[in-house]
Amino acid sequence: MTGFVTLKRLVLSLALAGGFPALAEPISVSKTADMRQAMDDIALAAANHDLVLVKMQPIDTALAKRGFENPHIRILFIGSESAVRWAEEAEPRLLNLLPLRLTLIQREGRISVMSDDFDLWLKEFPDPPAHLMVEAWRAEMKATLDDFVRQ
Amino acid sequence: MIHCIRTVFLLLALLAGTSPASAQTAAPEPMILTTTAPGRGMEAAVAALSQAIVNHNYTLVRQQAIDSRLVPYAQEVRSVRLVYFCNFAKMDQALRLDFRATQMLPCRVTLVETPTGVDLIAINPAWVSQDMPALSELCQELKQDYLAILEEAAL
Repeated sequence: MTGFVTLKRLVLSLALAGGFPALAEPISVSKTADMRQAMDDIALAAANHDLVLVKMQPIDTALAKRGFENPHIRILFIGSESAVRWAEEAEPRLLNLLPLRLTLIQREGRISVMSDDFDLWLKEFPDPPAHLMVEAWRAEMKATLDDFVRQ
Repeated sequence: MIHCIRTVFLLLALLAGTSPASAQTAAPEPMILTTTAPGRGMEAAVAALSQAIVNHNYTLVRQQAIDSRLVPYAQEVRSVRLVYFCNFAKMDQALRLDFRATQMLPCRVTLVETPTGVDLIAINPAWVSQDMPALSELCQELKQDYLAILEEAAL
């Protein structure tokens, strides 16, 4: 019994000390909307943050028309010229992250929107300027998605 | 007491995000898969890549400049192009396993023209999926597909 209590304390203190491995999570938000409304709202939110909707990838219809189950998922690419120029100058490998990707998932009348996992990139580029660049894109994406929820 | 100590060690291993077995076997995946097509221009490199994509049972989705739709067409950068492609059966399989597979969909190769040729660069799907265990096997398969496509495109 004492052992169990000690164990519990150890786990608790590790957890409090941030000892649990942080699961890298993409930024995600959700709200009640249909796919069309969600895309319009994202385009508007992106524009509010000087981002442009570059391309919509309708993988839901692409899969359905080929006889696969409709996953009710679409991918949007958004970007800005300044992000491209910044990456070209400072760290061309970051061009692989551009344009930024958003995944829209439709489930039971709600739309969830998820970004790519910026934490992976932050770990790969621990030093400035690349690290700061990814941080800035993540913050921009977070602000855009918060704006999307408010639309 | 021995059981308790063993449990503590097991927990510590889990908290560290690894187990003795995985620590021995898991080598970190590189972020990027890359090859170079020496002495080739952008148009020829895109054509060779497109053929390699089709040869490996993938469908060409589209190609675009890195700054497409961000600047007027005439001002687009000619030296960096993106080629997107897909195998719909694999896409379906990946999405069934974990919807976060969208982070590597559709497949993409970035082509960068240099003074000596064209670099072909892809994000390694096995690197992207490192926190998505359900996708691990499929992403290894995808990685091999990428490597084969890149190799053929650079021939």
